[in-house]
Amino acid sequence: MLVLVLGDLHIPHRSSSLPGKFKKLLVPGRIHHILCTGNLCTKESLDYLKTLANDVHVVRGDFDENFSYPEQKVVTVGQFRIGLCHGHQVVPLGDPEALALIQRQLDVDILISGHTHKFEAYEHENKFYINPGSATGAYHALNSAVTPSFVLMDIQSTTVVTYVYQLLGDEVKVERIEYKKC
Amino acid sequence: MYPWTSPSYVPSIPNPQKSTSPNGFDDQDKLLSEAVAKVRSQAFQMKRFLDKNRLMDALKCANPMLSELRTSLLSPKSYYELYMAITDELCHLELYLNDEFQKGRKVADLYEVVQNAGNIVPRLYLLITVGIVYIKSNPSLKRSILKDLVEMCRGVQHPLRGLFLRNYLLQLTRNLLPDALTPTIEAEGNVYDAIDFVLMNFAEMNKLWVRMQHQGHSSEKSRREQEREELKILVGTNLVRLSQLESASFETYQRLILPGILEQVVSCRDAIAQEYLMECIIQVFPDEFHLQTLDPFLKSCAQLQPGVNVKNIIISLIDRLTAYHQRNGKLVVTHSSEDGSHEIPDIQLFDIFSIQIAHIVQARNDMPLEDTISLQVALVSLAQKVYPERLDYIDKVLETTEIILDRLNMMKISHNLPVNHELCRLLRLCVDFYNNILTLIQLNHFAPLMEKLDYISRKSLALYVLMNVFENETLIPTADEVDSVLTMVMPLIRDEDAMESNSGEQQTVPSNRSAQDVDPEDFAEEQGIVARFVHFLKAEDPDMQYKILQTARKHFGSGGTERIKHILPPLVFAAYQLVYKYKSISEEDENWDKKCQKIVQFCHSTISALAKADLPEIALRLYLQGALVIGKVDYSNHETVAYDFMTQAFSLYEDEMSDSKSQLAAIILIMSTFEQMTCFGEENAEPLRTNCALAASKLLKKPDQCRGVVSCASLFWSGKKDGEEMRDEKRTLECLKKGVRIASQCLDTGVQVQLYVELLNHYLFYFERGNSLITVAMLNQLIAKINEELPNLEQSEETKQIGVHYRNTMSHIKSRMESNDAGLEISFAGITLSS
Repeated sequence: MLVLVLGDLHIPHRSSSLPGKFKKLLVPGRIHHILCTGNLCTKESLDYLKTLANDVHVVRGDFDENFSYPEQKVVTVGQFRIGLCHGHQVVPLGDPEALALIQRQLDVDILISGHTHKFEAYEHENKFYINPGSATGAYHALNSAVTPSFVLMDIQSTTVVTYVYQLLGDEVKVERIEYKKC
Repeated sequence: MYPWTSPSYVPSIPNPQKSTSPNGFDDQDKLLSEAVAKVRSQAFQMKRFLDKNRLMDALKCANPMLSELRTSLLSPKSYYELYMAITDELCHLELYLNDEFQKGRKVADLYEVVQNAGNIVPRLYLLITVGIVYIKSNPSLKRSILKDLVEMCRGVQHPLRGLFLRNYLLQLTRNLLPDALTPTIEAEGNVYDAIDFVLMNFAEMNKLWVRMQHQGHSSEKSRREQEREELKILVGTNLVRLSQLESASFETYQRLILPGILEQVVSCRDAIAQEYLMECIIQVFPDEFHLQTLDPFLKSCAQLQPGVNVKNIIISLIDRLTAYHQRNGKLVVTHSSEDGSHEIPDIQLFDIFSIQIAHIVQARNDMPLEDTISLQVALVSLAQKVYPERLDYIDKVLETTEIILDRLNMMKISHNLPVNHELCRLLRLCVDFYNNILTLIQLNHFAPLMEKLDYISRKSLALYVLMNVFENETLIPTADEVDSVLTMVMPLIRDEDAMESNSGEQQTVPSNRSAQDVDPEDFAEEQGIVARFVHFLKAEDPDMQYKILQTARKHFGSGGTERIKHILPPLVFAAYQLVYKYKSISEEDENWDKKCQKIVQFCHSTISALAKADLPEIALRLYLQGALVIGKVDYSNHETVAYDFMTQAFSLYEDEMSDSKSQLAAIILIMSTFEQMTCFGEENAEPLRTNCALAASKLLKKPDQCRGVVSCASLFWSGKKDGEEMRDEKRTLECLKKGVRIASQCLDTGVQVQLYVELLNHYLFYFERGNSLITVAMLNQLIAKINEELPNLEQSEETKQIGVHYRNTMSHIKSRMESNDAGLEISFAGITLSS
């Protein structure tokens, strides 16, 4: 089961489009679910995601005007409960303990958040946390060098293999991280 | 290469419609099969006599067989089939005669004998058949017999019969035409005789073909034209034959062949013939010839009948020559003549076409305007392919087009008109060819020509240009270029009437877009594209970048509320990035400080334009983003300015946010932004902090109040004071306590317990962070409250979720108590574990 995790596109506010190299990688029909951490900003970006997969989940980022996106969302994929939240509400910004508060409330195995425009994946108290970064490498006020990135999760029974795609210069670099549910 | 160049061509005659035959389709079949039956039976007799060597009897049979071709009842298609059947049979006669003559039979008498046949049609068919055999047996008679035959065919003036008769002549002579400059025997004739022969046959056939148009009733005009269409290839074959003469050099073509054809084409004054034959010339003769005879050819084009589609002829010629150039990579013509081969220098294809097309446009005032524009399209396409470097050529064509439209006083050409369509094609051709908007703005007449279109077309063309920028990732690196580009795409930036009323100076900002009944989603998508385009306005040099932003701001300012909502935010973000850029070069640029101030001022006024346009949501967020930037960049006075940005956000929150959902979202955002900021001294931080707390406690709904107040705790804990975290234990705790108090006021026990569980988590958060004022007793008190209320809740999905949240919280505590982290297990000791 392939799950695409991405967010903070900020098109058109901070970026004109996804990097061409990413667009080439993201082909329709391969991905089963899309989890978006928000800040799509326009309907066109959402429509684009819908061309990649039928099942698209979006939470509201601080620059999404669409109030119909929820603040938080839980999606079940296979044996995993996955929580989704943009993260601008989290104080201090991106703090693991503060994110754990949301993890406990949503009762999820994996918590996905964005907002920092910086890729992260770590385990904390046996739970898995992912921040896919910004798929467009959008400008961030407190993060001068943003690397465009997104995450692909391959979920097989109790294992998640996470692939992070980062655009470094003109090269797409892929890293693999595995997480097992206990 | 062409269908008619095959030795036995078959005219592609389409299936006749019912209306093409006077007697209907079935009658045609019947008439044809009757005629063919007669032919077969006579032919059978003829062949029997031939087998018996009784030539005179055989000829007597051939006569009635050929007489079938005198019919007037058959349609061209049926007549053609009959003709094929008969000429097949005539082959037998021809073969027999060939044999006979080789055996030494006298020909001359036979040539006389067949002239006695009663009717002219069979007589001439027989005469041609015999005459050809005669030539074969005695080549020295070639010239005179050919001349004789082509003259005698004049005897048949019925168009259909005459055309096929002359076609027969052309068929039979195809391998016999003299094709040498100086023949061994003078009387065999030379290539000039062949040219005379074919040109005369061509002229006669064309006259017959043209005459068809003027026969019969005018109501049958379309049927006649259909029939003519079916027969055109018979006339064209003459030109093919001319092109096959190997001894005819270019010089001969230029001096004799082309003028001969053109003279006939122009003088026949028949549109169908002219259109077809001009096309024929282009297709049949080699491109090298065309290259050197463009002037006479194009001059003739100007003289053609009003109904002729000259545009297609010229475009077809241009296409061929362009393709020729692309195959050969040059326009140098090498050809051999008497004095050896030599090269003719580069032919100024563009100049010739450009002059001649202008001439044609002038001479043919009946030509539809869209055709005139189509010619310019062809000219641009020629220039681009043959002279890719010559921008001035393209500009010249655009200028010519502009002048043509000016002369006709054409403005706002409606998108429903064919002219509009052609004009758009012309402009898109330029966009596609250069794939660079910077080249487009170098064309002086591109933008003015665009302005000739109506608003809708201009807009769609402007979008087309922008999409091209995206595809090619073209950056626009100077303020002047930005100015030109944005002027070019103005229909996307301003309303139609706004563009007219203030084409120069900016006046009032129109509050509503008037582009009537535009679908809001389409409009948003379109403006999204313009907004994306902002990212391509980019210079390496920061000073230039600032000028670019100012220029763009000037253009975007007058677009109305609906537009600035989309277009201005990217501009503000670009400006913020520029502030960071100046900070990064602060060592090299001693004026960086002043420049930062200016840019921030620019951002401030841009955001306030958004706020004034009743867009508080986006304005508030941009102010907060600005505060973050300013806080990070320590130019002089930055603290005051950052404070101002925060207060602007606050004012928007207080004055403009009305519904509780956006209020909560906004205050949470203000607090989380403020929490990250390090630039404030206590003097500025304190009022902001207090205001946050106040605003949070004034939220309308109790749960919102509770959550807001709890969030506020972070300002007193991790919020900064003189760059350091506050760690104000007392006021942090006060916030939490206030949260508990508000929660206890909630009447809905489900919500109350939910808030208690959330509060417990926040207490734990600060407890773990080391707030010494938070005691185990306080935690136990909360736990006790939850334990008391939770079992009483009605079973529901929400209750279940609260239970799970609580259980997760408990197991978190448990894991903390069991952790080996020194100190933690001690401090956690005493918390009541339950679930």
